[in-house]
Amino acid sequence: MIDKGKETILELEHIVKRYRTGGSFFGTYGKDVIALDQVSIRVVRGEIFGLVGESGSGKTTAGRLIVRLEEPEEGKIYLDSNEIAALKGNALREFRRKVQMIFQDPYQSLNPQFSVFDAVSEPLIIHKIGNAEARKDSVWQAMKSVGLSPPDDFAHRYPHQLSGGQRQRVAIARAMILKPEFVVADEPTSMLDASISAQIFNILLEMREKLHVSFLFITHSLAAARYLCDRIAVIYRGNLVEMGPGDEVIQNPKHPYTQALIDALPKFGYSGEVKRYQTLLRAEREVSEYVGCPFFSRCKVADETKCRREKPPLKRLGDSHSVACFYAEPGVKTGSGGKE
Amino acid sequence: MTVTTLNTDRKLSERFHWISRLLEGWSIYRKSLLGKIGLTLLALFALMALCSFIPPWVDPMYQPMTGVDPEISYSVGPSMRHWLGTDFMGRDILSQLLAGARIAFMVGVSAAFMSVVLGTAIGMIAGYMGRFVDTILMRLADMIMVMPTLLVVLILAALFGQLNIWTIVLIIALFRWPGVSRVIRAQTLSLKHRPFIEAARVAGASHLRIIFRHIMPNVLPLSFLYMTFRVTSAIIIEAALAFLGFGDPGTVSWGMMLQWVWKTGHMFKAPYWLLPPGICISLITLSFYMLGRAMDEVLDPRLRKEGETD
Amino acid sequence: MALLVAENLSVGYQTQKGYLHAVEGVSFSLGAGKSLGLVGESGCGKTTLAMAMMRLLPPNGMIRQGRIFFDGEDLLQKTDEEMRQVRWKKIAMIFQAAMNALNPVHRVIDQIAEAILTHDPLCDKEEAYEQVRGLFQLVGLPQDRMRDYPHQYSGGMKQRAVIAMALACQPKLIIADEPTTALDVLVQDQILQETKNLQKEFGISIIYISHDISIVADVCHDVGIMYAGQLVEYGAREEIFDSPRHPYTKALLSSYPTLTGEKNRLVPIPGETPNLIHPPLGCRFCDRCSRASVSCRTETPVWIEISPRHKALCD
Repeated sequence: MIDKGKETILELEHIVKRYRTGGSFFGTYGKDVIALDQVSIRVVRGEIFGLVGESGSGKTTAGRLIVRLEEPEEGKIYLDSNEIAALKGNALREFRRKVQMIFQDPYQSLNPQFSVFDAVSEPLIIHKIGNAEARKDSVWQAMKSVGLSPPDDFAHRYPHQLSGGQRQRVAIARAMILKPEFVVADEPTSMLDASISAQIFNILLEMREKLHVSFLFITHSLAAARYLCDRIAVIYRGNLVEMGPGDEVIQNPKHPYTQALIDALPKFGYSGEVKRYQTLLRAEREVSEYVGCPFFSRCKVADETKCRREKPPLKRLGDSHSVACFYAEPGVKTGSGGKE
Repeated sequence: MTVTTLNTDRKLSERFHWISRLLEGWSIYRKSLLGKIGLTLLALFALMALCSFIPPWVDPMYQPMTGVDPEISYSVGPSMRHWLGTDFMGRDILSQLLAGARIAFMVGVSAAFMSVVLGTAIGMIAGYMGRFVDTILMRLADMIMVMPTLLVVLILAALFGQLNIWTIVLIIALFRWPGVSRVIRAQTLSLKHRPFIEAARVAGASHLRIIFRHIMPNVLPLSFLYMTFRVTSAIIIEAALAFLGFGDPGTVSWGMMLQWVWKTGHMFKAPYWLLPPGICISLITLSFYMLGRAMDEVLDPRLRKEGETD
Repeated sequence: MALLVAENLSVGYQTQKGYLHAVEGVSFSLGAGKSLGLVGESGCGKTTLAMAMMRLLPPNGMIRQGRIFFDGEDLLQKTDEEMRQVRWKKIAMIFQAAMNALNPVHRVIDQIAEAILTHDPLCDKEEAYEQVRGLFQLVGLPQDRMRDYPHQYSGGMKQRAVIAMALACQPKLIIADEPTTALDVLVQDQILQETKNLQKEFGISIIYISHDISIVADVCHDVGIMYAGQLVEYGAREEIFDSPRHPYTKALLSSYPTLTGEKNRLVPIPGETPNLIHPPLGCRFCDRCSRASVSCRTETPVWIEISPRHKALCD
């Protein structure tokens, strides 16, 4: 589905993000938490790229780095081949017009004192686009495109008068009104019911079609990623462990963590009780932090000597499917024959 | 396609959202006994202030400062002519009391207003900018808070002679903003990391815009609340200053009245002169306090009583 | 005989805006050692139902009609004191975000021991500690972490501790309200599997309440779908998933993205849930239903039995 010849819209190159915790005023050093460790991602124009991980995986951090809410310690981020860290002033403002974010919590991402109209027109006012009349037209159009119709009904309402799904739609309208080139969607449906989530997914797909926006879709649900995304990257504790075309990663996962995720997903009562891959240890192993493979502590098929000490690099397995595991091999695997 | 203008088509309560919020707040406020008492008392004092123009209009001898009763030139108890009696110079106490109400409101509200405006602005900037700016502003606030307001004002008065009433108001404001700024700063800190603020940043809003368009509306209710508390302290400070002889001699305030009672040795001789201003000071501060407490309930949904959801 | 039978239960709340019909006419039965999943989206009344069964409604909540038979006795007829005897010893509850229910200033072992001691006055402290040891083993918590404080536990561990607390008095029934929503995928799966095992081993009945139908699908024998305060479909798990009948059930199932099978376009359910202060007369789903007919709006829907173990409120 992805043209190899298509241009890259966003690139993360060897991004490292560290947080210092627990230091005190008197200079004793706090512990460093490495949120992202050498993460590199390339998103092609028009693509919906899925970043799948659990809590603490660093997926939200990656999103925040892309919209420059935070800065990485190492590495570079490029939008359309321009490095974004160096942008200041007007160039930064231009950047903010092109890159937007949809936040996770619809109950917190709207200013409670702003009406729907205020919230959606805010980006236009900030970037001084159009006059009052033109702005109103844009807002009306944006609201209709996310299904808040008729706009007259919703424009004067305040967040506390809207449901979670409606609020998230306002957030999407707000993100889209500047017709951005790239949008980071940070778990936009994790706080919504399934039937409402489905509405949001479809709106995102429509946006991609109509506005040719590229998305980074951050989620903890492989199933949602499968539905929406062209390519998927799986991230575990700050490390990319697997990356490739969506269907490929899900039907033919190579990394034990991805396999464990697939095992763990509920399957609506089908496919029996037996897990397909069984790569997860029940109890965790003792490990020293940041040494060796990040998944070693829970990996059933890991090697005691190699995996404990060395960190596997992300290596290509052909047809743009990459895996960070010493034991991953190309081809289709049905079970794993690793060591205990 | 016709473009409907925003100004037509909407119901009044939708258009002025703050009106419907005000009404909602009022219905909650009404339920508080303290609030009702406070508001009633304040209405009484406001009435007094408004009526302060009446006595001199009736007869110039009722002028609070300069009124001279041709028949009385000393302090005498309540009578038909002077409902509360007269002071040591034969001036009518009631008109002084009414004028004092006017001063109390003026001083109280203006000083409170100024200190809250200052405190809110500084608190927001300190909370939002953080680090260096925050540290400097808060250290400044600390230093001011530690200084005893009254003492400093007395020293200033001693240096500059008698102070004008508006200078007093200004000084009170300058000394009272730190308390407000601390609270506003705390509120700003908690708002700073909320997703909707981050969304504004991602949309490209400048810091100034975020502070005044996004944070301020969320912080103003707290400011208003604090204003009511500031009023009480402003009134008391002014009264104390006047009592100690450092007030504006051209204005009649309740504190000034107390000063006269004391200075002229009538403390124990003229209860009709001593009691009214003293009671008024206590009552007005009490009523502002009650107003503040009731408003607290309106502003903080968690303090509302059961059965008042939504 | 069934362990728990709910008969025509209607529960509501008195609010400023009027009486909210949170639960209307719900009936179901649960056998000993079986698990029932109650599925519904926010506002469908499932938590209200659970709280009503335990008689833990807030002051403005009331059970308007119906009966709840537990072990043959009507729970609604019991006094407060009698209910207190029933709670925890016979029916235990795991609340939503239960991990936050652990008191941060007490050690975990003490909190679980306290639950044991409160409901069994004959037990002494040493015995209680011994029992906690056994429970830890049961739920898969390491013995050397017993004396830790809750903040030292991870989310999954806290949830396991809460499950241990629920099991402490060996109840016959556990009502679990969204016990795994805040947990990561892998941990959630582990806990679900372990719960299933515990259930089989001890013959405990479980009522599993969730908004996520996929979770319930893996864990429960029977499934009940709730919408706008009513039970709209009820039956054995296999039958519900193989042949859902009620339009809401079908719509709900088709709004979940799946990992396998065809990638069909997800069909969201248009519209919003009805206002429960003035609930509609006929079927409550008809505004959003693709198959609504005129009669749906006016006639009260009736239960249609599709098979002995499957019934739906529509055909």
